[in-house]
Amino acid sequence: MAEELASKQKAISIGEFFERNRQILGFDNPSRALLTTVKECVDNSADACEEAGILPDLLVEITKVSEERLKVVVEDNGPGIVRRQLPNVFGRLLYGSRFHSNRQARGQQGIGVSAAVLYAGLTTATPVHIVSKVEEDPAANVVDLFLDTQKNQARLVKEDVLAWDRPHGTRVELTLKARYQRGRQSPYDYLKGTAIVNPHARIVLVEPDGTRTTWERASPDLPPLAKEIPPHPHGLELGELDSMLRRSSSKTLLQFLTADLSGISRRGIQDVLQKGGFTGRERPDGFAGERVEQLLAALKDTPMATPSAECLSPIGPMLIKRGLKNVLGTLRPEFYSPPVSRPPKVHAGCPFVVEVGLVYGGDLPSDQSIQLLRFANRVPLLFQQGACAITQTVAEMDWHRYGLEQKSGAVPVGPVILLVHVASTKVPFTSEAKEAVAQTEDITREIELAVQAAARNMKLHLSRRTRRDQAMEKFTIIQKILPKMAEKASGIVDKPVPDLTRVITRIMDVVAVEARGSGEDPTKPSEKTLLTLTNYTSRNRPIELFLEVPLEAVKEGFSADPKPETLSTELGRVTFPLQRLSPNAKVTYTLTWPKPEKLEPDDVDVFVAGVDEAHLLGADPLPGDWDVRLPAALVEAAEDAQIAAARPAATAEGDEEVDYDAAEKKESFVDEE
Amino acid sequence: MPPKRKSPSSTKSRPEKLPDTDKRVLQPTLDLAQQIYTQLDKGDIPRMKLPLRTKQNIAFSPRDGVWRLGNQCGVRSARKLDGALMLLRTFWLVDFIEEMARDNKHSTLRELYYISEQWEEAKFHSENESNLLVEDLEVMCERMREDFRLRPEENGASVIGDLTITEINRKGQKKKINCRDDVGDGGYQLPANVEKEKISFVSHGAKFVLAIECGGMVDRLAENGFDEDQNALLVHLKGQPARSTRRFLKRLNEELKLPVVVFTDGDPWSFRIFASVAYGAIKTAHISHYLATPGAEFLGVTASDIENYQLPSDKLSDRDIQALKAELSDPRFNTEMWKSEIELMLQNGKKAEQQSLAKYGLNYVTEKYLPEKLTEMGVL
Repeated sequence: MAEELASKQKAISIGEFFERNRQILGFDNPSRALLTTVKECVDNSADACEEAGILPDLLVEITKVSEERLKVVVEDNGPGIVRRQLPNVFGRLLYGSRFHSNRQARGQQGIGVSAAVLYAGLTTATPVHIVSKVEEDPAANVVDLFLDTQKNQARLVKEDVLAWDRPHGTRVELTLKARYQRGRQSPYDYLKGTAIVNPHARIVLVEPDGTRTTWERASPDLPPLAKEIPPHPHGLELGELDSMLRRSSSKTLLQFLTADLSGISRRGIQDVLQKGGFTGRERPDGFAGERVEQLLAALKDTPMATPSAECLSPIGPMLIKRGLKNVLGTLRPEFYSPPVSRPPKVHAGCPFVVEVGLVYGGDLPSDQSIQLLRFANRVPLLFQQGACAITQTVAEMDWHRYGLEQKSGAVPVGPVILLVHVASTKVPFTSEAKEAVAQTEDITREIELAVQAAARNMKLHLSRRTRRDQAMEKFTIIQKILPKMAEKASGIVDKPVPDLTRVITRIMDVVAVEARGSGEDPTKPSEKTLLTLTNYTSRNRPIELFLEVPLEAVKEGFSADPKPETLSTELGRVTFPLQRLSPNAKVTYTLTWPKPEKLEPDDVDVFVAGVDEAHLLGADPLPGDWDVRLPAALVEAAEDAQIAAARPAATAEGDEEVDYDAAEKKESFVDEE
Repeated sequence: MPPKRKSPSSTKSRPEKLPDTDKRVLQPTLDLAQQIYTQLDKGDIPRMKLPLRTKQNIAFSPRDGVWRLGNQCGVRSARKLDGALMLLRTFWLVDFIEEMARDNKHSTLRELYYISEQWEEAKFHSENESNLLVEDLEVMCERMREDFRLRPEENGASVIGDLTITEINRKGQKKKINCRDDVGDGGYQLPANVEKEKISFVSHGAKFVLAIECGGMVDRLAENGFDEDQNALLVHLKGQPARSTRRFLKRLNEELKLPVVVFTDGDPWSFRIFASVAYGAIKTAHISHYLATPGAEFLGVTASDIENYQLPSDKLSDRDIQALKAELSDPRFNTEMWKSEIELMLQNGKKAEQQSLAKYGLNYVTEKYLPEKLTEMGVL
């Protein structure tokens, strides 16, 4: 009987394995197969460039061969692949340099470019064509190969050398059964997302119809290369520890604990030895079975320093903003929220970082769900949006409080693009398809905090905008409509036009702060900014102006007139002496910038003390955390308020009355004629 | 202090040349100017009070039997952009009316909208705004828009049946017309002005008036000879009826003592058509006593008809449901009959068109549905 069974027990071939797992591997339909192929090639290229310290310059060209066949060309300026490694990289499944490494890399995300080679071979019987040149060689190596599904190794069909007009790089050509489409989950979307989170890369896409799209490099700096660090004990699994022990070059357990793992202090090592009942002199390669389990239990039971985040390569707030601007600039968003980069945290012994960017308004549709751009280790996630912890966390937040509409439990609606990037040495995915981040408490919490911070900024922007709109409305009334109305009414009653100052202060009833550049072109930063404070209220106002300006500006010689009282080079905070403004009076501050071209319009925060929020336009009241001396204006304003309170209240206007025009507008949808 | 400067239109000389009637009509606007001048001079924000034309501010007038404007007022204030613009526009509008009075011209509401292109920042953003302002002026001056030399864009609807009228035509001649024998298939078309000085009733052979929402149904009844067979006067409402249509129905009802029966689609919007015919529309509540026919009755299509006659129906849309719910808080629909109809429609979630009666053939409506319903109502 056993013999009979044994005759049926045989290794399944790679080809069979591939067929049965097409979905997991990302080749389950022709359009997804195309995307996976592009993705594997591009991820490899970008990783290779960064490891070699080269700014990536990538070309993706897709052409139609026949009705069902497309040719995909991916070319990079990376370091190239040496001749002897070519068959391994392209002709063997599950062969890779990054699979075991303990640092953030794109390549962990997929099955590898060899799967695309296999797919191409299976569907079109065409070999992959590779041209690769390393700098040391005078010529490029050219190889055509298939992946042999029986042996899981390369079958070379052609080999050549070629004089290539570039110092180094790799070009891969694959012909496969595939379908090209634009829109969601397309190579276009994938590369666009890649361009956003990799602003140091230049990416060119040529589509089958000849459309050429170039995402230019937006940053000249390579991201700092993630360092490889030994695994952290809290993230270890039994099998992993077992093989580490076997392969270790350490002579003793003590040495192993010190050199092959990270995060254990000397004290911790003593703890582990004691808990596991070890001496520390045991040979690592002598561990087996129960003893490995004992060691793992002792390791997990011992408190340790959190793993170092040096193995991560977050994008960083500045580059997130730059990436978003570079790619989304044509949508003319009205607001880029300051990106959020959370401090590194640990999940299951692996450090991770969550980063969030948010863009609001412009040409983005306001009646559709927000666009959620998900990324893991700088790779766009295009599938399984609903299953992803990022989507779920965003959907579970209450967005009404941030000013967006939302059906309960759904992604909110509004003109927003939200970017969420999870970077880790081991991003937990829901499945082997690696398209959705798994729901784990640590990561979900970090995503929530980061998205909340970005959403708060958006809310702040929205309330500022509302107030600015209201201010604009009031300015229109007093500058354009009221004078005309006075003229007309006076004309009819045949009397001279009355002085409107008092009416104007009553309508405005605010202290307005208006900022204006000195230059001709209002869209360009200019050398000077003129801040005008006008007291459009009917009271005398003690007013103090406070600014928060970019640190660089303070260091490089920012100045103001009237002269600031204090100027902090640590915090970029500028204070000015008290001013007293009578009704309708104004004061202008001239700010001079050393390097205006570096200035962003939202870089300067303007605060005013002495005026409450309701009576302040174009600035915010001084926040409590400034921790400056008590502004004199606040004291005076409080005294004034006391005096005012003692007086009988002035005729309250417009508070309890029905606004005729608002009521009419509200009603108009129901009626008639 | 800027030197006094007259606005461009006021340089053409003012009240002296204005005809007396127009002067009287516009007197309240001069009072408004005086009021606003005084407010500005005192340093107050310009404002005026106006009765609200909302469903919360209509009240049933037992004397007229219709819903008229209540006592609640809203404030139009220059504190808000909309209010400031409307105040300024009021003056521009008065200027324009005076100009027309001097030149003996009239304009349509739509022309007024385009005229406002000359009003700088005060120009209207939509025709809705200009129509609303004209209604405000009607309320303010207690006049009708015709008194301001403004006429509606569209004429009234058409009439088919045995009614003989005389109309003073463009040439000032009296023209005698029988609305069945002297007209084509389209019937007799009501002019914008349907007052006695324009149209007088001579004779008729009708027993009742059937006011119908859709043109297709009017044609069906005419083709089937319903007007002659049942002595009915068919009046096409063309959706929400124009003022002249409503005024004409009221005159038929009051002067010729003809019962008025309203036949519409079975949906929330048609209920409102009936309400504006019988009870008075909210937007024109200030002239309900002049436009609404208190005795008018609703024939259908009712929510119960949809069930009883098994009519082909559509699902209520979200907007429909919203409209029905709004009607439940509309005082005009606060009767047992309407409450149960509206609630039944909400409950069934269905609406149906008049013409869905064709399910049973082209003659069904004239041979079965209308006779049944009219008998039930005691009209036949």
